[in-house]
Amino acid sequence: MSGAPRPASGNDGGRPPEAPSSQGRPPEAPSSQERPAKAPSSQGHPSKALSSRARTRLAAGTLLAPFFALFTVAMIVPVAYALWLSLFTEKQSGLGFDGPRTVFDGLGNYAAALGDQAFREGFWVLLGYCAFYIPLMGGGAIVLALLLDTALARARRFFQLALFLPHAIPGLIAALIWIYLYTPQLSPVVAAMEAGGIGFDFFSSEGTLPSIVNIALWEWLGYNVVIFYAALQAVDRSLLEAATVDGAGNWRIAFSIKLPLIRSSLVMVLLFTIIGSLQLFTEPLILSRGSGSAVTSTWTPNMYAYSAAFERNDYGLAAAASVLIALVAAVLSFAVTRFTNRKEARP
Amino acid sequence: MTSGTKNRWLSKTAVNGVLLIAALYTLFPLIWLLTAATKDAGNLLGGDVFSFEGFDLAHNLSELTSYQDGIYFRWYGNSLLYAGVGALGCSLVSVAAGYAFDKYRFRGKEKLFALVLLGVLLPSTALSLPLYLLAVETGTVNTYWAVLIPALVNPFGVYLSRIFSAGYIPDEVLEAARIDGAGELRTFWSVGLRMVMPGFVTVFLFQFTAIWNNFFLPLVMLSDKDLYPLSLGLYNWHSNANADPAFYPMVVTGSLLAVTPLIVAFVVLQRHWKAGLTAGSVK
Amino acid sequence: MSRSWSRSVHALVGAATALAVVTACGGADDSRARGTADDPVTVSFWAWTRGSQEVVDAFNATHDTIKVEFEEIPSGGLGGYPKIANAVKAGIAPDLLSIEYPQLSAFVSQGSLQDISGYLTEDIKKKFLPQTIEMTTLGGRNWAVPFDAAPQVFYYRKDFFTEHGITPPTTWDGFREAAKQVRKAGPRTRIATFFPDDPTFFQAMAWQAGAQWFRADTDAWRVHTTDPASARTAAYWQGMIDDRLVSTASSFSPEWTGSLKQGTTVGYLGASWGAGVLAGIVPEQKGKWAAVRLPSWEADRPASGMIGGSTFAVSKGSSKTEAAVEFALWMSTHEDAINARIGASTSSALPASPAMVPIAKKAFDTSFYGGQDLYGLFEEAGASIGPDWVWGPSPGATNSALGDALGEVAGGGATLPDAIRRAHDATVADLRKRGLKVEDPS
Repeated sequence: MSGAPRPASGNDGGRPPEAPSSQGRPPEAPSSQERPAKAPSSQGHPSKALSSRARTRLAAGTLLAPFFALFTVAMIVPVAYALWLSLFTEKQSGLGFDGPRTVFDGLGNYAAALGDQAFREGFWVLLGYCAFYIPLMGGGAIVLALLLDTALARARRFFQLALFLPHAIPGLIAALIWIYLYTPQLSPVVAAMEAGGIGFDFFSSEGTLPSIVNIALWEWLGYNVVIFYAALQAVDRSLLEAATVDGAGNWRIAFSIKLPLIRSSLVMVLLFTIIGSLQLFTEPLILSRGSGSAVTSTWTPNMYAYSAAFERNDYGLAAAASVLIALVAAVLSFAVTRFTNRKEARP
Repeated sequence: MTSGTKNRWLSKTAVNGVLLIAALYTLFPLIWLLTAATKDAGNLLGGDVFSFEGFDLAHNLSELTSYQDGIYFRWYGNSLLYAGVGALGCSLVSVAAGYAFDKYRFRGKEKLFALVLLGVLLPSTALSLPLYLLAVETGTVNTYWAVLIPALVNPFGVYLSRIFSAGYIPDEVLEAARIDGAGELRTFWSVGLRMVMPGFVTVFLFQFTAIWNNFFLPLVMLSDKDLYPLSLGLYNWHSNANADPAFYPMVVTGSLLAVTPLIVAFVVLQRHWKAGLTAGSVK
Repeated sequence: MSRSWSRSVHALVGAATALAVVTACGGADDSRARGTADDPVTVSFWAWTRGSQEVVDAFNATHDTIKVEFEEIPSGGLGGYPKIANAVKAGIAPDLLSIEYPQLSAFVSQGSLQDISGYLTEDIKKKFLPQTIEMTTLGGRNWAVPFDAAPQVFYYRKDFFTEHGITPPTTWDGFREAAKQVRKAGPRTRIATFFPDDPTFFQAMAWQAGAQWFRADTDAWRVHTTDPASARTAAYWQGMIDDRLVSTASSFSPEWTGSLKQGTTVGYLGASWGAGVLAGIVPEQKGKWAAVRLPSWEADRPASGMIGGSTFAVSKGSSKTEAAVEFALWMSTHEDAINARIGASTSSALPASPAMVPIAKKAFDTSFYGGQDLYGLFEEAGASIGPDWVWGPSPGATNSALGDALGEVAGGGATLPDAIRRAHDATVADLRKRGLKVEDPS
């Protein structure tokens, strides 16, 4: 297999040729350990380099400005506000019929959240969920995408469509549909399982995790298959043809050539599956209300925050819980990116 | 030779068999939704959903159109507005930013990008409450803006766009445009954006889905029913169904109609997307 | 990055200051008490109860100095209360709110409501069932206009009971026996449902047994969710669940509704307002249902708690208190309002004002119950509502802890005695965090 890797094919396949020299680099460029500039590689003439630098800066600024303006309004300011809110609590006196006053409470809300068993248990639930969900989702999506990408698959368009469709269903509606499909005496699925000798109560305490994992899997499997499949399609066909000519089998092609080429997609999906798990909210919320399921109102940390804000009207506690969740998410994804960066740095 | 053919036939069956099982798993609940939408309340809760007993689709549809002067279709329009405008704006903004992150170098770039990534991590519940209180301060609560502006921001879109930009836009092409004398913004607009179109469509589609499906933000932001998107309207009906099961068929039929445009969009855009992908790999 | 950071800190400080100002003023510009026909006062009103739109329409058709703008919101537990709490926090709450009795003290202690004692004269208070006035009076002040009382009754499938020779029970011991007979008649059939999702269902049962979870007669809250009456109730229902004599579907869930339609649930332990709901759920079973007094612990001492029940309260920020109270009183005590609500919708609410009961009785179609005199039953049950029950100031904490535990009880992961213990701990912790005085007798 000799086909030279082309820059445009894999996301991390091959980087374009490096800029010839470092002297044309903008002086404020951080350090030489960064990847060499891909943008306007200016060669020689100082005047040209200067104008190109200004041009670059202006262009980058213009292209980034709209996003960061919106980002500030819709994310940074609210986060700062949440941090601020988390430092205050409402105190009442006596029997409480005179209304509350807001007082500064330092880290009191954080202590209260961490001291609450319900909040801590939420993280254990999430851990169990991830241990269950991530391998199922990742493995399933990779296998299906690879199968779709083989020459053997028929009706690819149909299968992609069929697998993706659940993602078009709002989480709310998905949860409603599955509530029906979990309900004893109404569900054809439960009836079929019972007929097959499998009596499983999705609404029991043991049934909570499987029932939520199933809804999430149903919603996201096709989405990830489509991402992987799109990445696979971008793989240079001549590479694969060369491999076939060289006598590599389908399995070998799939695992030795295709998977490494879509590594960045794999990493991305892993990262976002983890983050998505931390945000788990709508489906368990709907299941926890009036469905009959044993999912509790503080089942995940997010639900704890929601319940604190909207059921107990404790906005400070809710803000503190949210900040803690974001912190855990940041630490986790830092770990994931660190890990994968190290891998990518390998030759 | 014969054993090779047989093997090939076997693996073909296996491959398509697995795909078929997966497709059945994803389609079954949708088929349930389709048949359930044809049932009246009694058969939805008491009968066999997959029989033709209690076939009442026409009645369900007419209930849907006539309830509160067809407010359902107003919600529908709102959802299209939020999702269409929001996703278009979001994809443009994201692709521009992703392109800039990929193709330019400037001071603090990776730090800035890390900030974007942090934005991806934020739990939605952490944001909704402060967003709501801020919307109150600015007087935008209970307006279209309250839902639309947060919908324009998706750090994930920027992340995706950076990856797509790296994958679809070879630097040589940009260099060629520059040598031809095109300005940076013009290069982005007429070369970069065109080449990254499959990525643009992806970001659009995903953001469209996200906004269409979003329900918590509208729930806290909107109190005027005329501004509701579909998800919130259906949730309202779902909560009504607790007391009045006549709402169950409306929720189910309404849900069916609600998911239809996304299905259509996906079918239509799938072709576009594939065409884009092939174009991208032709170099 | 650092610049945008400092900018956002400024924005945040600005926002927080503005918020503090809003909270401090409570908004009070249009202090006009009464409107005129040319320039009526507009009262905004949020509710989800049945027939609200019809009542508002009837009011607007007959009044020209006050105009009511109605907004239907999701029911309390499904998003209505959070929405109200948010709106109050944001200073954009409507003038008048529909709030259920259990939630009232929470809204009062959040400082979300106005003291309307000045508008409720002794004459006006006399128009209401004393228990409902009691429950809307907190700390010696009136906070809401009661709309209905919600005494418990037992609805049952008369045809099924007759066919199998089962007599409707009058005591809880009798109820257990009847439950066994029902299960014997149909192995998948149950006499009623213990609703694990609705903590007020269990609370009403404890209330009926004489429990008193909260007391506020000193300067501290006395919390006792595990008192002997509650323990007795918990033990009874745990036995019913363990022996599979009742089902544990969620209230109004597809599962529960489906089982009614399929005839595998032949009874419903509900409140007065449940009659209309039930008739709407299984209209095809018209004429097959009947209702009796809720079974009691001692045969000669019938008693009742309450499940839900609505009041109307004026939000803190409203400057139209007088008009709002006038409209609220009209909804609760005017013949036209009762006719509009009960006649036009299928509400079977028992008005908190006894003078309105005959109107409601006339307006409600009881053919679903074979023409039975339901309101006569409701009135009797209403009079037996235990007068000592007080709702705590933090139903959010109490009920979410209890609700979660009840869910586990239904799932087999916990028992009812555990559940009331957990509700106790969560409540005490929450009250202490709020800075309230708590006396913990247990």
